[in-house]
Amino acid sequence: MKFSWSKLAVLAVTGALTGALTGALWGGAAQADTVKIGFNVPLTGFAAADGKSALTGAELAVEQANAEGGIDGKMIELLVYDDQASPKESVPIATKLATQDKVNIAISGSYSGATRAAAGVFQANGIPYIAAYAVHPGITRSGDFVFRTSFVGEVQGRAGAKLAGDILGKKRAVLITLKNDFGKSLAAGFKEAAGKFGVTIVAEYEYSIKDRQFGPIVSKVKADNPEVIYASGYFFTAGPLVSQLRAAGIEVPIIGQEGYDSQKFIEIAGAAAEGTIITTSLDRDSDQAETKAFIAAFEKKAGYKVDMVAASGHTAVMVAIAAMRQAGTTDRKAIRDAIAGLTLQASTGKISFNKLGEVRKNVQVQVVRDGNWRRHSVIDDPELLAPPTE
Amino acid sequence: MEYEITLMTLAGIAVIAALGLNLITGFCGQISLGHAAFYGAGAYGAAMLTTNGVSFWLALPAGALVAGALGLVVGLASLRVRHDFLAITTMGVGFLFIGVVRQQDALGGEMGIYAIPDPGLGRLGYMVLVVVLAGLVAAFSLYLKRSWMGFAFDAIADDEDTALMVGIDVARYKLAAFAMGTAIAGVAGVLYAHEIKYIGPDSFGFPESIAMLAMVAVGGIGSVGGVAFAAVVMTVLPHWLQVVAEYKLLLYGALLFAVMRFSPGGLAGLVRSWRTRAGGFRIAATGKVEP
Amino acid sequence: MLAFELIVQGLIQGSIYALIAVGLTLVYGLLRILHIAHAALFTLGGYFGVLVTNATGSFGLAIVVAMVAVGGLGMLVYRFCYEPILARPPHVALIASIGLFIALEEVFRLVFGPYGISYTAPPLTATVVVASMNLKQAEIMVMAGVIVLIGGLAVLTRRTRVGIAWRATVTDPAMAQSFGVDVIKVRYLNFFIGSALAAAAGVMVALLNNLVEPTMGSVPSYKALAIIVLGGLGDVRGTLIAALALGVVESFGTIYLGTILDRDAIAFVFLIVVLMIRPQGLFGKT
Repeated sequence: MKFSWSKLAVLAVTGALTGALTGALWGGAAQADTVKIGFNVPLTGFAAADGKSALTGAELAVEQANAEGGIDGKMIELLVYDDQASPKESVPIATKLATQDKVNIAISGSYSGATRAAAGVFQANGIPYIAAYAVHPGITRSGDFVFRTSFVGEVQGRAGAKLAGDILGKKRAVLITLKNDFGKSLAAGFKEAAGKFGVTIVAEYEYSIKDRQFGPIVSKVKADNPEVIYASGYFFTAGPLVSQLRAAGIEVPIIGQEGYDSQKFIEIAGAAAEGTIITTSLDRDSDQAETKAFIAAFEKKAGYKVDMVAASGHTAVMVAIAAMRQAGTTDRKAIRDAIAGLTLQASTGKISFNKLGEVRKNVQVQVVRDGNWRRHSVIDDPELLAPPTE
Repeated sequence: MEYEITLMTLAGIAVIAALGLNLITGFCGQISLGHAAFYGAGAYGAAMLTTNGVSFWLALPAGALVAGALGLVVGLASLRVRHDFLAITTMGVGFLFIGVVRQQDALGGEMGIYAIPDPGLGRLGYMVLVVVLAGLVAAFSLYLKRSWMGFAFDAIADDEDTALMVGIDVARYKLAAFAMGTAIAGVAGVLYAHEIKYIGPDSFGFPESIAMLAMVAVGGIGSVGGVAFAAVVMTVLPHWLQVVAEYKLLLYGALLFAVMRFSPGGLAGLVRSWRTRAGGFRIAATGKVEP
Repeated sequence: MLAFELIVQGLIQGSIYALIAVGLTLVYGLLRILHIAHAALFTLGGYFGVLVTNATGSFGLAIVVAMVAVGGLGMLVYRFCYEPILARPPHVALIASIGLFIALEEVFRLVFGPYGISYTAPPLTATVVVASMNLKQAEIMVMAGVIVLIGGLAVLTRRTRVGIAWRATVTDPAMAQSFGVDVIKVRYLNFFIGSALAAAAGVMVALLNNLVEPTMGSVPSYKALAIIVLGGLGDVRGTLIAALALGVVESFGTIYLGTILDRDAIAFVFLIVVLMIRPQGLFGKT
């Protein structure tokens, strides 16, 4: 017992050094003559489903660009690391991408916490970083090298209020809010714009991301008797929620958001999914060549129907590639400037960025019709959809 | 080197947190499934201070104090419930902590606290600070183990009723173990917050508590060197396992299981049994067996 | 009227909790193990339910297959995972169980995919109006199922030789053995029944949500622990009542405390308050 601890301490140091060494070796293994895009994404753990879609979308974008000859003749290489959607994992990964792999630009295919933590590292190292679908407001506030290709929650929430009050003409709303940064910021945006469209909020209920059984909330909503329900969530919470609301005999329109945007939602809710309306980024009935080509190519590559996360992963990588082509150099500052000034027709529509690095694009309103997501309408009010600027 | 520095920093933080838990669970025998709550309390306490302009050097002890105070309260619960009941109560404390933090706008709510200021020591300087603190906590643990208090802890861990019978003030020592162990967790939390610079409710959830308990169990419950070693390896392991990408977490779970299944005394137990075999006359203590 | 609905909804949720927790408390009563991996067997039950129903069209068959297959797997878990470490301190089995749980969740993700699977034609979806309340047949079946399964268990333990042997082993293993009870057989039976009940719960939850995800067991993995502690660790009747009580507390809590605390926190406040007043659980004996 007496000396075992010191021996173990020696072992610990040896172990750490071995780790450092192997890390260094792997870092050096990357090819020199490619353009490198870093990609942190959850491939294991609870967020693996979104991670897989985001990664497939990103890989598709790289394949497409390489087929066109890459960037100035150089092939693009996607360096992928699993961050388990955890800030604790994403910080070392970001450090590795920045200082060892020396990527030209990096993309987050991950959730808010992991992305927010990694953004600080990329900013400090002067490497452009694009969040594909993480919604945390602090991400772009990390600095001028950080961008986001998805809506912040507030913007989408405001669009939801317009959809409810203006487009559908429903005035008495109940909010069912997912208790995380996504749901909370959506609810904040909805409440902010509700008055403008004459919508009054009868009640708000909150649920945890782990909940799949909504019996008590459903009973209460039924008693509240609203004209419209604004429910935030992801397909795996929204599927059971919508089906339970309908089973209880609640017939009023249900408005969701991009978190619903997956074929899986329709599979889970079945017939109850019909008529559900969401605000999202992907228009299935778009006549834009980019969007049509993306949907076809994705479904061929992935073997399942396209979702919002896949389109977001694809768009973020497309932005990175377009900016590098435009900059014509691997200088990271020049790439950053190119992104800031970019206007791109991507799979999620025509996008550009404001001075904070937040995306400007139209909100696509989709509805479930005959078991598929179809176009309902488009919201293109630049004032309503203005992202935060500071 | 920056990547290695980051890993070492995170490993050092894990060592501090795990050694704090080892004090409660290893030395004093009180299984805690909610250690991340104290880690989180330290992190939140300090981050609230530094984001409002208070110096990091003041926030560090303040975080420890907040966590230790909360630990004392939970320690009071340990006087009321025992064994598995206590384990589940501490688990409840963990969920309650997260549940409360989620709803406090003052603590950032679901958004967490971000843009936590850098302590200004540089990457290397910060790593040195973390490693030095980890060393101090390890030294303190070793000192404690040999002190009178350490013997008292040992007696309580062995059998609370007997300890009481031989005149040990069980309540006081239990409270002391909780207060010290959780204050140390608080220090780890402060260091974590200022390394990652973003904290949210999910950073301190049940999986985090489990990960810490796993470090203690895999290292060998009560063994300072073993726990420190396990904390380092289990922090760095997911990054080594990046090569197996999709199978990473599977392997992690399987290894955790395998260590407990084949070496129930943890790594320290493994080392001990090797030494016993090599030395011949040394008597191995392969962990306490409870009925 | 709303209060009545909330109670019914709470009982539905509580019934699910009961099915999962009873298996866990059986294991604890006999072996003093906090068997976290039990929740993975619950998830596996859900997968069997959906896969067999989708393949054969028979939901009844799916329940039987899920219960038998998962029950058998439960026995293997005992034989290869717990038996060798029974004499060790309790944290050993706890951490081993957690490792096993993490690994199994990942196996589910790798084998069945990360998106989860659903019934292609969910059975029992028709709604029945009970006292002006719309209930799915599936929800009624969940509550009825709990009564049948747990009632059956009560009969088994009180009226059959096996049951008496089981109770004797729980009370005093050494004494039971000296009276000729095969303690090892009792343990296998115990794991079979507990795991089969968890599988039944998995099939029913899969039906209520029409979704089985790799992480479906993550909430039950810890909440079932809270329930068996509330029920007094190892006490089947106490566990049953604790599960139903927790379901109802959560149901009201979600509506009236939802903006102050989330569902988990409500459950654990309830737990902590109860334990501070009765440290041995609601029905535990001192």
